[in-house]
Formats: sequence, structure tokens, C-alpha cells
Amino acid sequence: MMFRWLRITCRQAQVLLSQGQDRALGPLETLRLRLHLTACDWCSKVARHFRLLSQAVRRIGS
Amino acid sequence: MDADSLQQAVAELRPTLLRIARLQLRNDAWAEDAVSETLVSALEAAGRFGGQSQLKTWVVGILKHKIIDQFRRCGREISIEAAVEAAQVETFDELFTQDGHRVNEPLNWGDPEAAYSRVQFFEILQLCVEQLPATLARVFMMREWLEWDTAQICKEADISATNCFVMLHRARMRLRECLETRWFAIESAA
Repeated sequence: MMFRWLRITCRQAQVLLSQGQDRALGPLETLRLRLHLTACDWCSKVARHFRLLSQAVRRIGS
Repeated sequence: MDADSLQQAVAELRPTLLRIARLQLRNDAWAEDAVSETLVSALEAAGRFGGQSQLKTWVVGILKHKIIDQFRRCGREISIEAAVEAAQVETFDELFTQDGHRVNEPLNWGDPEAAYSRVQFFEILQLCVEQLPATLARVFMMREWLEWDTAQICKEADISATNCFVMLHRARMRLRECLETRWFAIESAA
């Protein structure tokens, strides 16, 4: 398949989701992650969960 | 608020401050030191507390600085522990199939503000952080609670950027699973 090299698994996507909170992802990483999230509702949920986790921790003690 | 009331209100915050300091420092003696210094500084600076923010928010702000001071004093010990933790391998194989796809669908966490408004939610969140290995928790809290960038974390913990990203990912994965199991699954079943 032509664009097989752009595909990543959920395991790889979740590593990129986490790293995306800590560093700027490269263009290819961003493209691969976006394509994965377009097709994968489960990883889209995990992306939201990571953001909510970050928000929640920042509220500890406030 | 008069001086006596302020002194009492600051002293009453001690258990909360201690729990937060333990969560971040993962060392009881260091946490005690940071909280004691925080209380002294808060009482010394009480005249500057204008009441524009909540007292707790103001004192927690002081605590953050004391925790950072504590990290700097104990840098060598922290960096040795971080090097040991960075060598650990965690694959999360139970969450993924052999071809790398998730085994189970994550739950819908719903409206986050509803969770944030519950004291019990933060109790569970802190419990989940407490269950992380000490160094993992420290690095994660440096990133998310102290809001340090990874370059600063790498410098303070003396770890490589790669190790830092791996540790943060491990912490997030564990905390996500913990919150889902201990809070959101129970809430959605209620």
C-alpha cells in the first residue's frame, strides 16, 4: 500500500501523544499522529485523557 | 484577617502542604523541611498577603519555591535515583495487542470540571501519584505541577532528554490507567 510508511500503531501513537506534551513533534511525527487520530477514536480519547491529567495535576493545592 | 487569625489559618494548612510536598519530593524528611520553611516564610511575609488570592493558593506558591530549593540541596541523591529509574523498561504489554493496537477501549471521562469540583477526585489523583515509583513521580510532578520544561528537569535530575520523555510517558500511562480504574470507571457505573 502506498502510504503504509505513514501508519503507526496505537502503542506508537500514545508515545507521540505523551511526547507532544513535552516537546515539539517533527513534521513527519505530527503527520503520522494526525492520520492515526483521524482513524482511531480510542487514541483520540487517550489524547484527551493526557490533557485532562495535566490540567488536573496543575490544580493540586489550588 | 488579623495577625493571630492569619497565623492560625497558615498553621492549619500544614497537613495539606505536607501531603503536597511528599507527593513531589517523595522523601518525608525533605517534605518536613520544605513545609517548615514554607510556614516560617509565610508568617514572616504575612504583612504582604493582601488577600487578593486565597490564602492556600498564596502559601502553596511559597511551598513551590521551597520544594525547588530542596531539589537543589539534594540534587546528587535525586540524580542517582533517576539514573536507576531511567534504566527500567516498561512495555505496557497488557494494554496492547501484539500488532500494537489497544486491547480495550478507553472510557469516556465526561466533563472534567465535574471531576475537578470533587475533593475525592483529587484524593484519588494523589493516591495514584503516590503509587508511582518515587523518581517517576518526581519527574512527572516537576513537569506538570512545577511546570518545568524538560531541559530544566534533565538538568536538575541529571538525566538525558530521551530518558526524561520515556519516564514522563510511563508516568502518564500509569496515571491514566489508575484514574480510569479508580475514578472514572466507578463514576460511570454509579
